[in-house]
Amino acid sequence: MSETLKPQTRRWLGNAHLQYLLFGAVLCLLPLLSSSGVLKASTLSTLAFVLIYAIAAMGLNLLLGYSGLISLGTAGFMGLGAYLAAYVQDDLGLGFWVALLAALVVPTFIGILVGVVSLRVRSIYLAIATLCISEILLKTFEQAEWFTRGTAGKQSSYPVIFGVHTDRQAMFVVIVIALIAVMMLTHNVVHGQLGRALHAMRSSEVAAQAMGVNILKYKLFAFALATLYAGLAGALYLFFLKSSYPSTWNLFLSLNVIAMVVVGGLRSIFGTVAGAFVIIAVPELVLKELPVIGDIPGLPYIFSGVLIVLVIMFFPQGLQGLWQLVRDAISSRRHPSGPGTPRATAEVEPPLGTEAVTR
Amino acid sequence: MTAALRVEGLSISFGGLKALDDLSFTVNEREVFGLIGPNGAGKTTVFNCVTQFYRPDAGAVFFRVDPQRLAKNATKADTEDGELNLVGRPVHSIIRQGLVRTFQNVEVIPELSLIDNVLIGGHVDFTASMFSQMFRLPRARKEERAYRDKAMAALRFLKIDHLANSLTGGQPYGVRKKLEMARTLMAEPTLIILDEPAAGLNDAETEDLAGIISQIRDDYQCAVLLVEHDMGLVMNVCDRICAISFGKFLALGTPAEIQQDAAVHEAYLGERDDD
Repeated sequence: MSETLKPQTRRWLGNAHLQYLLFGAVLCLLPLLSSSGVLKASTLSTLAFVLIYAIAAMGLNLLLGYSGLISLGTAGFMGLGAYLAAYVQDDLGLGFWVALLAALVVPTFIGILVGVVSLRVRSIYLAIATLCISEILLKTFEQAEWFTRGTAGKQSSYPVIFGVHTDRQAMFVVIVIALIAVMMLTHNVVHGQLGRALHAMRSSEVAAQAMGVNILKYKLFAFALATLYAGLAGALYLFFLKSSYPSTWNLFLSLNVIAMVVVGGLRSIFGTVAGAFVIIAVPELVLKELPVIGDIPGLPYIFSGVLIVLVIMFFPQGLQGLWQLVRDAISSRRHPSGPGTPRATAEVEPPLGTEAVTR
Repeated sequence: MTAALRVEGLSISFGGLKALDDLSFTVNEREVFGLIGPNGAGKTTVFNCVTQFYRPDAGAVFFRVDPQRLAKNATKADTEDGELNLVGRPVHSIIRQGLVRTFQNVEVIPELSLIDNVLIGGHVDFTASMFSQMFRLPRARKEERAYRDKAMAALRFLKIDHLANSLTGGQPYGVRKKLEMARTLMAEPTLIILDEPAAGLNDAETEDLAGIISQIRDDYQCAVLLVEHDMGLVMNVCDRICAISFGKFLALGTPAEIQQDAAVHEAYLGERDDD
């Protein structure tokens, strides 16, 4: 595309924040397509879940991709966000904003505690520690009936935002806004001093400390931000679906979120969204429609499990790496004589701990 | 002459092994000081004790801190005559005092560009809050730009500025070594500790390195403490040399004096046979 555009336009399109905003604007058109009947209502719901999980995956990418920390606790924190949102909005009647705030603050606080744990244990042991926290939260969701109504499920309602009664399509737009905000925030974090400190910590804790990076501070920061995103995703899930059951927030969801990050490509913001799309939407929209294969129980899990193995073995850079290859191929076809852009390829190890987790 | 670093009575044991035994030496300001010894003499252990990766069992590490830096870091109370005892301080606070190190096995981040790697050396200088960075407020952006220029200058000093925006992962070993040195310059150090800078370099690159070390001392007005096995480089570049063996002090002097020292010969070559 680049040759046919003016340099000025090209620079505009190269601005990352503008790209996010354009992406958001395109997503906001989807509810219109749905109301005009082009897009099925169920398809719109599937896409909404793609975006919600992409928010949670963005947090895990900060941990797994940038900081080299693993977490199997995403589902627990999402669930906590969801139940808090429902409890504050419907049981306490404090409205959307207080509910959202609660769903952000409480998981973040617990995330910071997990960050303290992560100072002591690493890789597979950290995975187990976070899994334990998630399972404790899951048991709490089942037992604390005053808070969650247990296995009967918590029912909620569409929120009222700035005096406007929302519906499914309005909630979709709210989710898009939240996702774009998360993408922009993540971009700022990873492209500055904070991101460099996380990179340094992943690469070598010893060297990072010698460069003045306070490991305690940055581990807590990474976990706090990741659980903040998970809490946000949980609250949006609740407001969109208007119900929450404990069985949703199990280990399989956490593993699916890891699959999104790995398949999308570590350390890529758009890649994470693409990963969420592949893991959530492909089984739901494509595989289920197929004859015979579509009837296999637990198909989505088989799909994401196989995909993780394939990506780690054959294409460790994920969808983002695929996109780079396509771009390089196009540009080298355009300038066959020009010097090919030398790109450091594929020296990527499998992300910390994932090989153990997927085994 | 004032001392940049005074190591006094440093001792540390690992299990039954005494890695350092009552070791003392002084590095003066703006001098290149070599630390040599046979394999397992405890050279890297000295570095790790100075930079607080290890807590020594006994002894002190006094480091002269620039008065301006002292005012900024508010550690005045802990100093005596401008000297700070580093023992017991958090590892990540050491670079703040103007003491920065490289690693034997080049610790750079392959997934980042060269300039981003250099910027990590300036990590502690950033004053913009986390909040202002997360929302890219004008203050954070201005600071980022200023330090980016400074990092470019460090890359230019080592003549690798043409690679500033390339990924570090694909670069040859020599470039990554230089990158690690550029990163130390970001911290405006008064003492740079180089752990085997010539390891893995060919003869031409080693010669180049000797020039760089002298130039760093002259242009950046800082002392350099280096551990090195390449005796050619050590003799060529060092003002003074300290030899140690099995964690004990052996000899101290100019390169010429060390070359003549009988104890050093014995430690390296073993006792002379009487045949």
